[in-house]
Amino acid sequence: MVKQSALSLSVEHVSHSYELQGVHNPVLADVSFDVEPGEFVALLGPSGSGKSTILRLIAGLEAPQNGIIRAGEQVITGPGPDRIVMFQDPTLYPWLTVEGNVGLGLEIQKQSDPVKVKHMLGLVGLQDYGSAWPHQLSGGMAQRAALARALVNDPQMLILDEPLGKLDSLTRLTMQTEIARFWRERGFTALMVTHDVEEALLLATRIIVFSPRPARIVMDVPVELPASRHRDDPVLMNMRRDILRQLGHGEDW
Amino acid sequence: MTTVEKKRRCCAKAAVRWLAGSAWFVAALVTWLWPDGDDFPDTLLLAGLLAAVGVVLLVMVAAKRLKDRAAWMLALGLGLALWELVQAKCLLLPRPFFGTPQDLLDVFLTDWRRLGDSLYHSLMLLVCGYSIGAVLGVVVGVALGWSLRFRYWVRPLMRLIGPLPPVALLPLAFVIMPSTRLAGLSLMALAAGFPVAVLTWSGVAAVDPSYYALARTMGAKPRFLVWRVALPAATPQIFVGLFMGLGAAFSMLVVAEMLGVKSGLGFYMQWSQGWAAYPNMYAALLVMSLMCSGLMSLLFKVRDRVLRWQKDGLKW
Repeated sequence: MVKQSALSLSVEHVSHSYELQGVHNPVLADVSFDVEPGEFVALLGPSGSGKSTILRLIAGLEAPQNGIIRAGEQVITGPGPDRIVMFQDPTLYPWLTVEGNVGLGLEIQKQSDPVKVKHMLGLVGLQDYGSAWPHQLSGGMAQRAALARALVNDPQMLILDEPLGKLDSLTRLTMQTEIARFWRERGFTALMVTHDVEEALLLATRIIVFSPRPARIVMDVPVELPASRHRDDPVLMNMRRDILRQLGHGEDW
Repeated sequence: MTTVEKKRRCCAKAAVRWLAGSAWFVAALVTWLWPDGDDFPDTLLLAGLLAAVGVVLLVMVAAKRLKDRAAWMLALGLGLALWELVQAKCLLLPRPFFGTPQDLLDVFLTDWRRLGDSLYHSLMLLVCGYSIGAVLGVVVGVALGWSLRFRYWVRPLMRLIGPLPPVALLPLAFVIMPSTRLAGLSLMALAAGFPVAVLTWSGVAAVDPSYYALARTMGAKPRFLVWRVALPAATPQIFVGLFMGLGAAFSMLVVAEMLGVKSGLGFYMQWSQGWAAYPNMYAALLVMSLMCSGLMSLLFKVRDRVLRWQKDGLKW
């Protein structure tokens, strides 16, 4: 497997707000953090705290109202194929076959490569479904296809916006393992928003916890655990308790 | 269902199959042996044709090629026999408004050249007008869904002109257009284009925003978003518009040909009514309905091909 160069990231004093029915609604309040190339950073926070907004800004789908975001040395001004996003919904185009969907990014970049697409489908276990229509896939298979569609572009940074949020718990376990495997093998920088503290602890090398809206960083801790982790590791369980306390759920578990 | 019932049903089906061919022989015999009520052309030929169809049907049954349609063929054969009996033998319905099968056959035998020519002209006018309307409709619809400025200027025009039946513009179009054909053509394009534009617009407006976001994160430019995301996402709606537009184009065609265009099936029908040539009118009606039905089926075929990614759709 080729290791591609990973992307570093620096978020500098970013604030952002949305206009909702004429009301100014601050979402991010002076958020700053740096990500080293090859890190796996999990962003945790209460529902609606603006974690997904950060991802949209990093993906370049929107421009921040204040502050600067850099990917490598470049200031982010728009979306780019170096930063690929995987959304909560698979968002496969129903009018394209699975192969067509997975090859989408390459096609947009005018680098269509059916062999690469086929190979990628094999890596996520969908080798027999290349010519299937998306409506013929189960939820887990659709999300695998979405993962393949992201990875086939050889992203330097993979942005994961709660990609496993809607899967059943068993499919989730498998997908977590797969994401971890791809991250280890390919060495890209990963940024993942999740609600699931355990998922963050299992996958990430570092966890950033956000406050309720407008989001500020309230906790930024490295996860110093071996690559193969277990849910019942005492260190992991201690960290989980700390993080849940930060999120205001210290008594609830 | 018990096995006895199953067997009985199976026998009944087989009986219908063999009766289907026989019914056409009955029609042939009625036509041949029963003396005509008046002096009608081609009686013998018609009997021969009916018998020929009967032979074909029986051969198809023997070759197990006639299944679902057997009941229809049976009904058709009996219907023809009844029509022959009522109108050609007993003269029960007022003439000449109601013709006989012989009369109809005679029109096709003697006037096929003009009928074919009329069909050709109608088809050309329809295909040209409809295609122009469909293409313009899709383009305008996409622009309406995509560009704010375009919507600002074009929407009021659409709201003013769209709901107006295009037929109402026909007198005006005949005056200001250099030829009646061109007038019919442009109004047909308008009639077909309006529903296509509205439904394309609604389809484009309803595209899931995450479809755009996804393509944008992979570096897609607006061109790609329009042609490869908005347009395919809107195709189910566009086809609804295309069907409505085809119906509108049919009526526009007939009215235009009856009122001013001096060719085509509508003109033929108008002309034959003027000469009290009622069998010709029936023949033209038959050809016209076959044309419309054929085009509609063709559009469904195209839709089934283009929208094969959909889970299910209406079967024509």
